[in-house]
Amino acid sequence: MALDVLVSSLVAGVLIGTVLALVALGLTIIFGVMDIVNFAHGEFLMVGMYTGLLVAQGVGMEPLLTLPAAGAVGFLLGIVCYFGFVKFLLRGPMLAQLLGTFGLMLFLRNLALVFFGSEDRAIHHGILVGKSLALGMGVMIPATKLAAAILSVLAFICVWLFIHKTKTGKALQATAVNPQGARYVGIPTDKMNGLAWAIGGATVTIAGALLVNFWAVNPYVGLLFTMLAFTIVALGGFGSVPGAFVAGLIVGLITELPGIWDFISITLGWSWMSKVPMTSFKYTWVYLAYFIIMLISPKGLFGWKR
Amino acid sequence: MKQARAVLWICLGVMFLLVTFCLYVPPVLAQQEIAIGVIYPITGGAASAGRELQNGASLAAEIANGVFADLAMDMAKEAGIKSMGGAKIKLIFKDHEGNPTLGADLAKKLILDDKVVGILGCYHSAVTKAVSAVCEQYGIPMINDSSTSPALTQQGYKWFWRTTPHDGTFTKDLFEFLKGLSEGKSKGVPPVPKDQLNTLAAACEKTEWGSAASALLEKYAKEYGYDLKKNILYTAKSADLSSEVRSLLAVKPDALLFASYTSDAILMVKTLKAEKAKPKLIWGQDAGFETPEFRTTLGEDIVGILTRTVFSPKLGQVKKISGQVNDLYKKKTGYDLSDASARGFTGVQTWVAILEKAGSTRPEAIQAAANAINIPGDQLVVPWKGIKFSTSGEELGQNIMGSGIIGQYQKNQAGEVVLEIVYPFELATSKLIYPFKGY
Repeated sequence: MALDVLVSSLVAGVLIGTVLALVALGLTIIFGVMDIVNFAHGEFLMVGMYTGLLVAQGVGMEPLLTLPAAGAVGFLLGIVCYFGFVKFLLRGPMLAQLLGTFGLMLFLRNLALVFFGSEDRAIHHGILVGKSLALGMGVMIPATKLAAAILSVLAFICVWLFIHKTKTGKALQATAVNPQGARYVGIPTDKMNGLAWAIGGATVTIAGALLVNFWAVNPYVGLLFTMLAFTIVALGGFGSVPGAFVAGLIVGLITELPGIWDFISITLGWSWMSKVPMTSFKYTWVYLAYFIIMLISPKGLFGWKR
Repeated sequence: MKQARAVLWICLGVMFLLVTFCLYVPPVLAQQEIAIGVIYPITGGAASAGRELQNGASLAAEIANGVFADLAMDMAKEAGIKSMGGAKIKLIFKDHEGNPTLGADLAKKLILDDKVVGILGCYHSAVTKAVSAVCEQYGIPMINDSSTSPALTQQGYKWFWRTTPHDGTFTKDLFEFLKGLSEGKSKGVPPVPKDQLNTLAAACEKTEWGSAASALLEKYAKEYGYDLKKNILYTAKSADLSSEVRSLLAVKPDALLFASYTSDAILMVKTLKAEKAKPKLIWGQDAGFETPEFRTTLGEDIVGILTRTVFSPKLGQVKKISGQVNDLYKKKTGYDLSDASARGFTGVQTWVAILEKAGSTRPEAIQAAANAINIPGDQLVVPWKGIKFSTSGEELGQNIMGSGIIGQYQKNQAGEVVLEIVYPFELATSKLIYPFKGY
């Protein structure tokens, strides 16, 4: 039995899934509040990754301690993008909003190319970098991924508590459900929209600063995460916070299908299975899942705006 | 009157001759500089190797353009190309970023705008393939110093020559090394029973080079009777390789084999460390496993890892010219010559020798000179028998006198991580560390 292969893959899937869920959280909040799809979401993540990397390397700080800096940068970036750009897009048709955030994506990516070049950069030093926890049976958990998963869950809980337990959070929910009604009862919906972008920006940049501990960054890194975030949000339901979490875990596990395939191959002793290039298609399964979800349940597992 | 007319005719005649001479000066004499376009990945995932290549090429041009009396190398004895009136070599560097389309565009620009006499490059086999097609189209000679996909010299091109041995040679070296290990030929290691080093797992990046390397591993594993249980192709410049590494480790391999560029090679070793991998042997197909960035980033984590290469600073112990050029290079850059810089150096050295033989910048003359060139091994910093290109058969333009070595990262007495030669066994500069200590 190759139980270690199966357990390793499942654990890895859950760990990366929680981080992916945090990546998607910002996208689902922005859509939930404003019905606008942010194509630049992956580029926000890239900004978070560069912030984490530069602060860690520039100040010589432990990479995981850079999260507040990354969160602050994301928060400000969200506010600047909303009040300086997106607010004006809202006056136009839906197509203008889509193309507008697409333009924002290109702008941020090219800005990163100008400043950082196209080279991959990664963090190679830190308290947790290169360390692992042994679970027994030969199953290893990389410490950076475990820390990223725990902090992602914490960030998720904080955002959920903020949205459901605070007055501002409830105002945000009201804006999401019925903006006109919210305005009538005196909620400053414009500021709520800005807040949604700020929270969306902060969560995804924090996710970026967590990811950069074990994932190299370059100006193009955002595209993959935009695609994954869209899949997660579609699977969980646009605007659904719990949906994003569950869907993140599912997508994380789908990316680990090659490990499950190896487990079956070794257990059954079918050597032909090990020749199938499963790892080459690890994200293909995710997009296939996206396609199937759109066919079966266009509103995802949890429906829209919950 | 007649006398005045005669003087006038003489003056006119002299003027006519002068004008004719000025209008038709042989290209050789008119040319003070010979421009060669050099296309390397100076930014992007293989930037570290690209900069090494650039530094090596620049040093060779510096030596060719000056006089270095102490160096026992033909191009160091005269300043410039002697057969062309001392014309100097001018290298025009371009950055292809690992992108074949950009590489082809840059080649066109160099040929049409910069009027280079030829091209040198390009490291990535996929880029070399695209650039060689452009050179073939325009009839411009291209020397390839650093790409190892065997297919490049099997295209039947007439304007393409490759100095470096290709992956067929290097992969065969690996399996000869494994075979020698089981026969007890390796210095300091008792014979390793074949069944204890039989299961192999490989991961190669998915471009022209890695795909060819992967196919060669499959071919030679079968030929030498090894069990290549996993042979993965992964996307180059990957940001995460954890599922690939877990997939490799799932088959419990005795040896892990890789073909990766720099950023992937670093990520691969970091992931192996995080997964606490314990194979008995790790071997890299040069490229990323041999760059200074690989060593400086990973430090002691690479001790025990093997890489195929064409150069090791340790060669200086057995080959004077290698040591001399290495000293010059170290003075200039602060680093020892590496596989990449040594190949960049050799690429320019080959260009100089060909131009010297051609005595002209006409493509046809260069083509004839390249096909007839024979640079003896004692002129080279690399441990080859020489440079002589194949002019017939399946492989056109391949240097038939090249060979590879396998190095292993070991810690020296000063605590530095250095690349010791462990194969060919007769050239070994240190005892092999076997098995790999694991993470």
